[in-house]
Amino acid sequence: MGKVIVVTSGKGGVGKTTSTANLGSALALIGKTVAVVDADVGLRNLDVVMGLESRIVYTSMDVIEKQCELQKALVRDRRVEGLMLLAASQKNNKDDIQPEHMKSICERLSVDYDFVLVDSPAGIEQGFQNASAGADEALIVTTPDVSALRDADRMIGLLLNDGVEPINLVLNRFSPELVKSGDMVDVPDVLDLLSIDLLGIVPEDEGVIASTNRGIPLVYSENAPGAQAYRRIARRITGQQVPIPDFLHSKNFFSNIKEWFSRKK
Amino acid sequence: MAYPIVTLRAYQDGFHLIIRPHLSIAEIEEAIQKELARMNRPLSEVSVQIDMKTPVLTYSELEELKTRLKETYNLQTRDIAIFDEPVAPPVVAAPATHTISQTMGLSDSGSSEQSRILSQTVRSGQTEDFPPGSLIIYGDVNQGAEVRAGGDIIVLGALRGSAHAGTKGRLSAVIIAMDLIPLRLQIGNYINRSLLGQKSRGYPEIAYIGSKDLIVVEKFVKF
Repeated sequence: MGKVIVVTSGKGGVGKTTSTANLGSALALIGKTVAVVDADVGLRNLDVVMGLESRIVYTSMDVIEKQCELQKALVRDRRVEGLMLLAASQKNNKDDIQPEHMKSICERLSVDYDFVLVDSPAGIEQGFQNASAGADEALIVTTPDVSALRDADRMIGLLLNDGVEPINLVLNRFSPELVKSGDMVDVPDVLDLLSIDLLGIVPEDEGVIASTNRGIPLVYSENAPGAQAYRRIARRITGQQVPIPDFLHSKNFFSNIKEWFSRKK
Repeated sequence: MAYPIVTLRAYQDGFHLIIRPHLSIAEIEEAIQKELARMNRPLSEVSVQIDMKTPVLTYSELEELKTRLKETYNLQTRDIAIFDEPVAPPVVAAPATHTISQTMGLSDSGSSEQSRILSQTVRSGQTEDFPPGSLIIYGDVNQGAEVRAGGDIIVLGALRGSAHAGTKGRLSAVIIAMDLIPLRLQIGNYINRSLLGQKSRGYPEIAYIGSKDLIVVEKFVKF
């Protein structure tokens, strides 16, 4: 049985869909079989970010209405072995799906796939209830700003109430420069507030915008800092121990010398 | 420093006559007379609720007080609320005007007050309410969360959300937190929007109602 992980945040625009697409691709790149499920009925986006929008024939709505088999509704990502997308219906509404439907879809997918990533819509209403219904674990995506953090905190409370545990954190769009200038909440403060385990930090990377528009997840461009971060997070999801780099105190030649001298004193 | 013997105050549900404990009926009557004399206009045909803490006057003294209020000042006694303060000697001239042992029931006075212990972080959108007594939280109270208790609130963590102690009107309730950086504090009917900012000061603090009817926050040293 595979793991069903819901990717959620509360606030919109913090990178749930981007993270789902990238983590799904990164997990497939390290040899896992992955199904990514778009639970954002009526406002689907995951297909666009993954560049699969032209190949969608059936959606999860068709599966629920028994118009087609689940296997038939899955769209294969040709760039990598073992990655499938189940798209959301664009013409329906979030209320047209019930949590039991999503639960049964997730259960059936987890039989065949190592990981099922469910991309949750923003908000705490029906859409989120549907997305989290079948989840074993949760991944909270947040940016280090106060409004996103408060929503993430609320989300954690709701997930704990529903018995979804463990809940891990992905800190997205982290900018060391802004933290240094005192304009961004620092990592220890985020962890202190949310008190859940940190799975990874994704640095601010302008490449994301281009990759979204092209429909090629960032992880395929190997050298991008964001891509490397997502690859590390994917390995951590599989249970590997990968250290989280210290973005704030990235060492260079001069800082090494400075530190060496200050230690001498 | 102390509270006035008698305070007449308007609340949402009408006038309350708040009477300080540990006083004789004669002292109270004198204070009532003074308090009502301060009014520009005589209050007549108004109903009041008498709020007092234990130890209260005897039954006959209360009856006497009621008739006095009715006959002399034309005030109708609507209700008598007695707050269950454990019997303890009055606090004498201590700089921190509260000893928590009184309200927490730690004293040997045999208080029956209950406490509820919560070992979790109260997160945004969650509310914890414990009307019968004090609430002790091993964890944080995050922004957007709310904790309420009939007695004291003690947070062994950071209090970032809003807290309301003494929900049933007990003004001697206190709020203590390792990091007292709340959005809003309320004790009884007193509300204090946090003016202290959201920056941790690195030591525990206590909030209580001080002598000037304001919520006072100061460094918390010991019970």
